[in-house]
Amino acid sequence: MSPIAEQAVAPPGRSDLLGWLTSTDHKRIGTLYVITSLGFFLVAGALAVVMRTQLARPNSTLVSPHAFNQLFTLHGTAMIFLVVAPFAVGLANFLIPLQIGAPDMAFPRLNATSYWMFLFGGLTVFLGALTSEGAADSGWTAYAPLSEIKISTGLGQDMWIVGVFLVSVATILTAINFITTTFIYRAPGMTMWRIPIFAWEMVATSLLIFMAFPSLAAALLLLFVDRHLGGHAFDPSYGGNAVLWQHLFWFFGHPEVYVLILPYFGVVSEIIPVFSRKPIFGYTGLVIAAFAIAGLSMGVWAHHMFTTGAVDDPFFSFLSFMIAVPTGVKFFNWIGTMWRGSISLATPMLFCVGFLMNFLLGGVTGVMIASPPIDFHAEDSYFIVAHMHYVLGGGSLFAIFAALFFWWPKMFGVKLDERLGKLCFWLLFVGFNVTFFPMHLLGIEGMPRRVFTYPDVGSFPLLNSLATAGSYVMLAGVVAFAWNVVVSTRKRDPVGPDPWEANSLEWWTSSPPPEHNFDDLPPIRSARPVFDAHHPEIAKGGAG
Amino acid sequence: MHGQMWPSPATAQASVLANDWLLFGTAGLAVAVIVWGLILFSVFRWRRKGQTEGPLPPQFDSNNPLEIAWTAIPLLIVLALFVYTYRAEADVERLAPKPDVIVDVNAYQWNWTFAYQGGPTVQGSFADPPQLVLPLGETVRIVLTSSDVDHAFWVPDFLFKRDAIPGHPTSFDLNPSKLGTYLGRCAEFCGFDHALMDFSVRVVSSSDFNRWRSAHHT
Amino acid sequence: MMVALRLFISSAVFSSVIATAYWIFSKEPTGTFLLGVMSFGLLFVAGYTIVAEREADLVGDRPEARPVDAAGELVGTYSIRSPLPVWTALAVSCVGLGIVVSPAVAALGVVAMLIAGVLFILQSR
Ligand SMILES: [Cu+2]
Repeated sequence: MSPIAEQAVAPPGRSDLLGWLTSTDHKRIGTLYVITSLGFFLVAGALAVVMRTQLARPNSTLVSPHAFNQLFTLHGTAMIFLVVAPFAVGLANFLIPLQIGAPDMAFPRLNATSYWMFLFGGLTVFLGALTSEGAADSGWTAYAPLSEIKISTGLGQDMWIVGVFLVSVATILTAINFITTTFIYRAPGMTMWRIPIFAWEMVATSLLIFMAFPSLAAALLLLFVDRHLGGHAFDPSYGGNAVLWQHLFWFFGHPEVYVLILPYFGVVSEIIPVFSRKPIFGYTGLVIAAFAIAGLSMGVWAHHMFTTGAVDDPFFSFLSFMIAVPTGVKFFNWIGTMWRGSISLATPMLFCVGFLMNFLLGGVTGVMIASPPIDFHAEDSYFIVAHMHYVLGGGSLFAIFAALFFWWPKMFGVKLDERLGKLCFWLLFVGFNVTFFPMHLLGIEGMPRRVFTYPDVGSFPLLNSLATAGSYVMLAGVVAFAWNVVVSTRKRDPVGPDPWEANSLEWWTSSPPPEHNFDDLPPIRSARPVFDAHHPEIAKGGAG
Repeated sequence: MHGQMWPSPATAQASVLANDWLLFGTAGLAVAVIVWGLILFSVFRWRRKGQTEGPLPPQFDSNNPLEIAWTAIPLLIVLALFVYTYRAEADVERLAPKPDVIVDVNAYQWNWTFAYQGGPTVQGSFADPPQLVLPLGETVRIVLTSSDVDHAFWVPDFLFKRDAIPGHPTSFDLNPSKLGTYLGRCAEFCGFDHALMDFSVRVVSSSDFNRWRSAHHT
Repeated sequence: MMVALRLFISSAVFSSVIATAYWIFSKEPTGTFLLGVMSFGLLFVAGYTIVAEREADLVGDRPEARPVDAAGELVGTYSIRSPLPVWTALAVSCVGLGIVVSPAVAALGVVAMLIAGVLFILQSR
């Protein structure tokens, strides 16, 4: 296969709407995913700020219970299905063909179809807010029987089911596309053991999607049948089984957590070597660890069900503990990459260090709640809220910002401003920890999650006010990022192909890349072809 | 009712659970501090000063003995933690052959019923949440179920919760070890007034319990 | 393709082991069924790869291959523009939304899907 594809159309201008609507170019689709997921991020983040404002003081009546329940349902659904996962999909869409030296994805039209289905699905979930009973309000987990028609009577719940179903089908199609592209469309010399770690992590992610998402689709279909076609799968009053929903949901839901983090392991594995000016440490170990995590994560779903008294706790506890081992390997590999390096703390690297610091705490609390005796207290409390946000906020979200700052020049041809970038980092880092660290304590002290208010007891008011203050600081960080985009776009300061002196093939071509991706390719003799071309004295294999 | 910040274990089971928290908290904090230290040390020790790039640092990219060590050591740690946790859970979930008191707890949107077998049934109202009265030092069996959606029975000072799932009753034992009144609440999101689905637990002496029981039994 | 093959086979074996272990320890049917379906899916993918792709000789798998080795080889000719994807996605979404909102919208979606199908067949000829 070759980088030479038949291309006839001249690169169109940025503003042609029809071009964006009909494009099957992986770079445009990737950009659309990234921008769409950032749009959903702004909305979901705003919902979170409203929730934090309601929770700033005890017994507050700013937001009604019904509205609050919609707020956290939409916040969770959006962050998981419409922000963290699709941002990774967008990044991978943009990067994988470039990183492996391919002209496009294996199935370009399928790829575009997936994007539009994801967009329409996401909009459907939010459009539920316009119905008479409002949007879905049974949480992103939609536990049956709460989500059954007897109790959640509104149209919003149905639109949630349809929207999430569309998104999950789109995600499965994209996963098949990623696997095929990476296995088949690599450039000459780009063997599997030379593709960037990010591409490997996306293969592992896609495999997980392929295994986990059908279970979600099945659960949603059954719920729909229960609601409208007289089924009783989850309704115990007619012989259904309420635990069945939890099995089906978490069989998807736990691997989903790794779908939300593995791509970002890939992101930091790309960025840390560049800003340490060293190759990634333990390439093989990182790849094996990715698949170990993916494999183990298929056997831990019921650690979300320890408190049901209906599952084999030790089995799930054991496999959950085991996941700590490959995750630890990754941490040590990242530290090994920085070890004795020549480290520059540019904004992308700052966000990676922030990722390491935050995610570590999320990992440690993750091992804690893998122990059922601890989970008996922590489950469904703010301790879980803290844990989950340290993984998906302090982890994935920080990696999202690292990726934005790192690949922005490649996507849009201009660098983001460094000083505003550092301001953005510090606001987000401080704001994040002030928001979410106190939640560990709130959970231990006895505050359940998903409550619209709380009584004036113990340190609830103090810790909650602190968390709310932190969320405003995070908001300021997001504003700093938006301002950065405006400033940097106005400045129009074009960058060359390789502004960071990076390693992988996407830095060989111009920024932004031409429609056919590459005019020529360097010889590929290691996992760092661009570095090799710039440092022939060090390059492995001695190929010129 | 709930003045201090940390829950203080109020059942025999809670003392076992508190030890698990202590062990995992300490071990977790130790690991976190070591790894945080390694991250910050590498960043600040080898941070490049100024704008000049200088020569490339050493380009090593693997070290097999080291990689085996940092796979094997965490593996041993988590195996040890698993063995500990397995035993602790067995202690906490053990059901006594003959409990002294059996209470059927029913959760519903958004309140609780406590039905003592061979004794009174306690109903609460929205304004006046129900109270579960328990005898100190005796074994209490809770049989938990729900009549509508999923709920969860959580008493923070017992460091314990169990889901109340319709059609799926479960049982657990409590051995109250401390006199006092404790706050209980629903932990599993259950709809509109989930946040206000509270109850309380009052642990009294055996004789007080018997007096209360006969006074309320109709 | 050897790497892909090895990956699919080891995934299938691993998930079969987990499924069996889960049944032995828990005797819980739902999870065993889900793990079983997953193992079966992976076995299918592995089998497909063995049958269809074992002989594949990819230039990307040759460690010493140079860019020039692939010259003249075409990945295939495809347009970088197509109105079909957005149209198809819109049609599918109309069907989904129509089912819960109004049958008319669903009918519209079905018609749009049929049109997309016809266009697709015409295009691929
Ligand atoms: Cu409840």
